[in-house]
Amino acid sequence: MLTGIITFVVIFAVIGSILYGRKLAKTEKLDAVFGNPERANGGVHWVIVGSSFLLLTWLYYSWDMAKSFYPQSANELCQVAKVNDSLLSLKYLFPIEEREFKSTSIIKGENKNIEKLANEIKNSPKLSEQDKSELLKFIDKTKKTIPLLTDERLLENETKIQIKDLTNRIVSLTEEFQKESYPPITSIEEENKRIEALKTQGKWGASATAVENTVEIPTIPETKMGLKFDAAAKELTLISEDFFNLKNHNSQYINLMQEIRDEIKAYESGLNDTQKVASALAKDVLKIARRIEYASIFPPNTLDDMQQSIINFDEVQKKEQGILKYVDIFLFPAGTIVSSGPNCSEQGSGRWLPKPSDTFNKFILLMQPSIGFKNVPMVWYEMMDVSKIVGFILPDWIADIMPGKYPIHNQEGTVTPNFKSNVLKVVTGEFSLFKIPVPMGHIWDSFLRVLLGLLLGVIFGVPLGLFMGLNRFAKGFFDPLIELYRPVPPLAWAPLVITVFGIDNVGKVFLLFMVSFSIMIISARAGASGTQLSKIHASHSLGASKWQILRYVIFPNSLPEILTGVRVAVGMCWGTLVAAEFLAGTTGIGFVENVAKKYFQYEVIWITIFVMGMLGLLFDVALRKIIDKTIPWHGKG
Amino acid sequence: MKKIISFILGTVVALNLTISVANAAAKSVRVAFFIEWPTPNQEDKVKKMFDKALGVPVEWTNFANGGAMTDAMLAGDIDISYSQGLVPFINAVKSKAPIKLVDIAMEYGMGGTTCVTSNASGITKANATELEGKKVAVPLGTMAEYVFDESMKVVGADKSKMTVIQMDPEEGAAALVSGDVVMACLFGGNSIKAATAAGTRLLTVQEARDAGILGIDITSVTDKFMKENPGMLKTFIEVTHEANTRYKAGKSDMNIVAKDAEMSLADTKETIGGFKFLTPAETEKSMTSGSLSKFLKGMGTPNGAVDTSFLPL
Repeated sequence: MLTGIITFVVIFAVIGSILYGRKLAKTEKLDAVFGNPERANGGVHWVIVGSSFLLLTWLYYSWDMAKSFYPQSANELCQVAKVNDSLLSLKYLFPIEEREFKSTSIIKGENKNIEKLANEIKNSPKLSEQDKSELLKFIDKTKKTIPLLTDERLLENETKIQIKDLTNRIVSLTEEFQKESYPPITSIEEENKRIEALKTQGKWGASATAVENTVEIPTIPETKMGLKFDAAAKELTLISEDFFNLKNHNSQYINLMQEIRDEIKAYESGLNDTQKVASALAKDVLKIARRIEYASIFPPNTLDDMQQSIINFDEVQKKEQGILKYVDIFLFPAGTIVSSGPNCSEQGSGRWLPKPSDTFNKFILLMQPSIGFKNVPMVWYEMMDVSKIVGFILPDWIADIMPGKYPIHNQEGTVTPNFKSNVLKVVTGEFSLFKIPVPMGHIWDSFLRVLLGLLLGVIFGVPLGLFMGLNRFAKGFFDPLIELYRPVPPLAWAPLVITVFGIDNVGKVFLLFMVSFSIMIISARAGASGTQLSKIHASHSLGASKWQILRYVIFPNSLPEILTGVRVAVGMCWGTLVAAEFLAGTTGIGFVENVAKKYFQYEVIWITIFVMGMLGLLFDVALRKIIDKTIPWHGKG
Repeated sequence: MKKIISFILGTVVALNLTISVANAAAKSVRVAFFIEWPTPNQEDKVKKMFDKALGVPVEWTNFANGGAMTDAMLAGDIDISYSQGLVPFINAVKSKAPIKLVDIAMEYGMGGTTCVTSNASGITKANATELEGKKVAVPLGTMAEYVFDESMKVVGADKSKMTVIQMDPEEGAAALVSGDVVMACLFGGNSIKAATAAGTRLLTVQEARDAGILGIDITSVTDKFMKENPGMLKTFIEVTHEANTRYKAGKSDMNIVAKDAEMSLADTKETIGGFKFLTPAETEKSMTSGSLSKFLKGMGTPNGAVDTSFLPL
């Protein structure tokens, strides 16, 4: 419902914005020639069109539009898919969707295989002449089995009747299928059972109550039309099973086949261990013979009536689909509903592109702190005692250097704490103060890792970069080091860093630090060496000290470069973080995505992608604000 | 403007028509398998016996885990997955993937998939509750996760109190050696070898077997391939069972298998020794009423995912 409204709103927004844009273009002042940056100013309406197109594409290709306008369509298409599924096992034997009969292509293929094997036997140096002639005799016999199957005169009456019977069943199904009364109601009990089952059947779409459940399509027919297709599918399955079991094995063929079998067996038992090649080749001949036996090979034109009846049924069922056919074509782009045994599933873009409404529901579900992902909330808070922070800051060895000894248990089996043990409690944080809320969860963990890696990179990278830009020794000394590790993709370091620093936060933050560090050095260095000499000379002549020149001339001049470097580093850090969390992790967005992938939870995968996009955007917006504040002159030269 | 509209419409039409073109004519059969997972039919694979038996070329692609096999099958790049783990298969079927289970590749004790605790931690089966509150590496969504769940039930440790870290076997083994985790659950000969160098199996192969912890690897196939090439599928399964029979008779050339599995001969023999290859009749029993069917039911698998009609009975 909501999706429907949104669809219309978005379409109107697009039309409105386009009309507005065209009107605006006409009233625009004419002195803004091509190349004038003013032509790129403003344009909120194009933002609306852009994002609307994104949303529309998503709604369309995830089949959410189909779901909101034709909520029954998935259930009905599921029944149609069942029919197509049953038809497929009949159709594939005929040149309906293929170019030739399945049996034609098998005969073609096996004739080639026979020839190949014959050549192999003839040219084999390891075979004696006697073996060769023996094996070639088998080949010859195998070759003769094919005409026995394709000769119309040899076709047995029983087989003919069975084919006729199957054809009649398809024809009568086609007739019945078109009737209003199809399928006939079998019994009231059955009908009641179906209605009961319908009540427990879920709706089309992802479950909004559990993270694990993926998209489901109700399989029990809900509508009259669905029932019709469901019943036809069941009948067709029976027909195709019977057809599958039908083999054109006339007595002559059976005799010859038995002969081949027996002879090869006798031949093989006569061979000793040194004649492995001959034995293997004999087996290969038998394999071909058995493939021919198993394939449904019939004389040409024998199955013509049957083929026609299948084509007729196919046409009728297409006609009976009515409007559903067009819903399928237009509202289920790039794929459709496919049946697999008793289940139906979305195949195509609907499978891997979850519906916006489902994704939204799942997102709400994931954000609930009591649910989260793998027992960890996405982002939430926990109450932490301040004593933990004290314990983290104060080093533990303070307790060790205190005078005295740690208490030992006495004869009563109790331990009396003394001054030294009390100090230990304070420095390890094992006491209670007041509690404060601290954020936690997957999103927070990822956020914190990126922030820490970035800050460390800036803190160490910028001074070193400036130093390298100003000092010959620093440049010469650090250059090879930096240049050697910088071009290596951070992912290449990941397995190593994780082995050295462990799988905890230290390893991941260090990896991010490596990424941001090199970028910061390069940008700070470029900034420092790019400072205009005249400015430095001017400050020198005004009597500025070295520190003052660095602080008031060089640093502000490198700021634009540095801040651009930070923006680049943010992007690199996110990319690296996700990969690092893929390798090993218990929390973090990358971990969520990696685990969701293993369980085919496409909604969750998309949610993680959106969350990452949003966090990246957040960082970038914050940085743009910082840039506007700290270097307001940038880009205004 | 007209150009833009026609471009957009054209793109939409083109996208709508790109319905995956699968392997309809079956000019070749594409099979997924694992390396470091030796099976008798690898001899047939190397000697091109499958190609001969099926009458068309067979292309083998190796995968890192069973989930990736499913992905490839759904994308239309793989027709048959040989020795896919049961857990990835169940995950795929639960998400309504159109694939079917047609054969059991092998049953195995904890020989091939196991949990290893580090010697440094001093944790054994007797004091396994000490795992609570510690870090363990588990490749989620694989057979190893199932083995982990079951092992914890056997030793009576509460897995919800442990920090479970998602790690593939190779990394899990490395983390166990470096001491980052106290236990790693893994599969694959080389990974287990690396892990047992610094640790011991939590449950011995025999203990695991007694506790009923059983790994099952299966052969799965896409619905489309099954419908269109039933003969080829049947032949594929038949050749595999022939290879198993040959192995049981001691006639397999283990050097070829070891080379193809990229393992040493001794490791190959040890790993493959832990596998139990079922006869077609045993397979059918397992699929309809035995351990496989119990496993599927226990994991809440939807009905209709198993088809026994391709077994060479």
